[in-house]
Amino acid sequence: MAKVLLIEDDCETAEQITAELIDRGFDVEWSADGIAGLDRARTLLPDAMIVDRLLPGMDGLTIIEALRKERIRTPVLVLSALGAVNDRVRGLYMGGDDYLTKPFAIVELIARIEALLRRPSETRNTTIAVGPLELDLIERTARRGERIIDLLPREFRLLQYMMEHCGQLLTRAMLLEEVWHYKFIPATNLVDVHMGRLRHKVDGPGEPAMIHSVRGAGFILRMEP
Amino acid sequence: MSQSQLLRSTTFHMALVAAAVFALFIIVLFGFIKGKVDHYLTARSDEVITAHVEGLLGLSPELRRAAIMERLKQDPREVQIVAMFAADGHRITGNLNAMPPGLKIDGPAQRTVVPTDGPNGSRGRVVRAIARRMANGNVLVVGRDVDEAGEIAMVVGEATVLGLVPGFFLCLLAGGWLSMRAEKRVAHVNERVQRIIAGDLHERLPYGSGNDPFSKLAVIVNGMLDEMETMIRALEGVGNDIAHDLRTPLTSTRLILERGRANATNLEQLQAAVDKTIAGLDQSLSITTALLRLAEIENSRRSAGFGEVALGELLQEVCDMYEPIAEAKDITLTATIMRPSSVRGDRDLLMEAVANLVDNAIKFTPEGGKVELELLCGDGETILRVTDTGGGIAEQDRESVLRRFYRSEKMRHTPGVGLGLNLVAAIVKLHGFRLAIHSGPGGRIEIRCPDTSCESDAGREHTDAGIEPLLIPSRRQTGFG
Repeated sequence: MAKVLLIEDDCETAEQITAELIDRGFDVEWSADGIAGLDRARTLLPDAMIVDRLLPGMDGLTIIEALRKERIRTPVLVLSALGAVNDRVRGLYMGGDDYLTKPFAIVELIARIEALLRRPSETRNTTIAVGPLELDLIERTARRGERIIDLLPREFRLLQYMMEHCGQLLTRAMLLEEVWHYKFIPATNLVDVHMGRLRHKVDGPGEPAMIHSVRGAGFILRMEP
Repeated sequence: MSQSQLLRSTTFHMALVAAAVFALFIIVLFGFIKGKVDHYLTARSDEVITAHVEGLLGLSPELRRAAIMERLKQDPREVQIVAMFAADGHRITGNLNAMPPGLKIDGPAQRTVVPTDGPNGSRGRVVRAIARRMANGNVLVVGRDVDEAGEIAMVVGEATVLGLVPGFFLCLLAGGWLSMRAEKRVAHVNERVQRIIAGDLHERLPYGSGNDPFSKLAVIVNGMLDEMETMIRALEGVGNDIAHDLRTPLTSTRLILERGRANATNLEQLQAAVDKTIAGLDQSLSITTALLRLAEIENSRRSAGFGEVALGELLQEVCDMYEPIAEAKDITLTATIMRPSSVRGDRDLLMEAVANLVDNAIKFTPEGGKVELELLCGDGETILRVTDTGGGIAEQDRESVLRRFYRSEKMRHTPGVGLGLNLVAAIVKLHGFRLAIHSGPGGRIEIRCPDTSCESDAGREHTDAGIEPLLIPSRRQTGFG
């Protein structure tokens, strides 16, 4: 069971997040202020952390910097108020951590925590396979069983990302960030349209569906229905 | 105003300084006049005595003696000195007992002190004198008393002091009066300002008809207050718009929940109601998110994170992103890069701006239409142009589209928040670019980035003759928008 440390001073938010994480089978610890949170992180050595940007005692980013100095590489999801996202917060994204702006949907938070926990290891494989689905990263070709799938470059990128994170819920925001490098949510349902096309190509007639929509949340690629 | 306040006021201090400067000036002026008078009188004395001595030297010895006697007789004030000495220093005639010590013979007129016997006893007189040796070896001395100059200086000095004292006090009095007046006006202005602070936005500062600095300042401040009042009223309008746009989805959400609770007979029906509710809440949330995002961009400064952004690539990427959506609507979406150029900016924000424009263009273009993205050069600007075959923006709507939540009446049924163009305008302003909105038919919006290397006139050929595009930022639109 994955251990998650939540450092958040707002009781209401913390309660919601904790309840949801427990429902999803996580082991959750909660600290309400920065200094206690940092101590907890040192002793508990959690698998992932959720840290609010503004905390009594110690700023969320300072906690992360302190941990990194001690070579504690726990992945962190920073919660930041919209309008307070500056270059320092964006830097987290580069450092392998992630950030989420408030207000956020709880599914978005869970999806991102799961993504942080299951960060794909840096493999030098030139092919990825999920069930009958196979990608050749050198030749840039895709096939499902014996069937060759003809993909446009952007569809290839999308499918590759989904296969690298197979079995994980991927929200629209995550896909926009990772596949298109969009840092905002466009008004139109862009992702759905792209996903619809990809699905049309991947899940042929008569084949069991591999790309699934999760209502109100996002998409998931997996073998079983 | 109490006395101590008066003494502390800056205006009064300045009056004091002015009075001191005035006094100093008078004293210096007096010194200058005295110096000038001294100099003038001395020069004149010298001229007179030199002429006199030359005159005496030109006479025969007998006549000379008589002339000396005559001269002394005609000088009841005893300002004249005339004397003749033998070569051994013995006095021959005249009103000097001995040769004045230090007087150079055959030199020019000079200052010297001579002892004289006057009615007030023996005293040293300061005189200008000249001495000449005659052909027979005797010495002729002619001089003139210059104490006269000192007397004149005394009189002038006394007059100056007599004038100075009342002048100084007059200065202080004027200073006191001016500072009192200023303090009174400040108190008056403060009274009005306090009323404005208390929330009375109609209040204005008092100003006279005159041309004095106080009135001018009041007029300037009043102008600022006018502008601020307009802005605050406009913001109130925005607040109402927000409330209205939030209430609509919230009201329907509430209705769905109420009906679901009353009518649902099984879990599925209840879930359907909840799903609808979540969709409604998401819409409300997206409005607040859009507003916060707008505030975030408007409040941010040109960050150090600006970098070179290749606009051609950016356009291509947006086009690539929206191509499937355009295709689903049977709209042709093309990107034409006439000249690959790059600008300094925030790549993510610029992408958001372009994406918003394309999003809008596709949304408002009917099926079978065309949306074109162009990157071109003209008038020293790199122009990023989005053209569509939709209805375009009517001339009278061009300013309104930048109002928050504004959606033209005919578009009411199209989904969207109505903040898209605000966002674009904010991003464009942050970068110091301009947003040009052309009036219809057909939509055409341009982001114009200053670029000195752009000399060609490609932008001109497309500009409709006579119809100037609305260029943002214009002062009024961007003051708070």
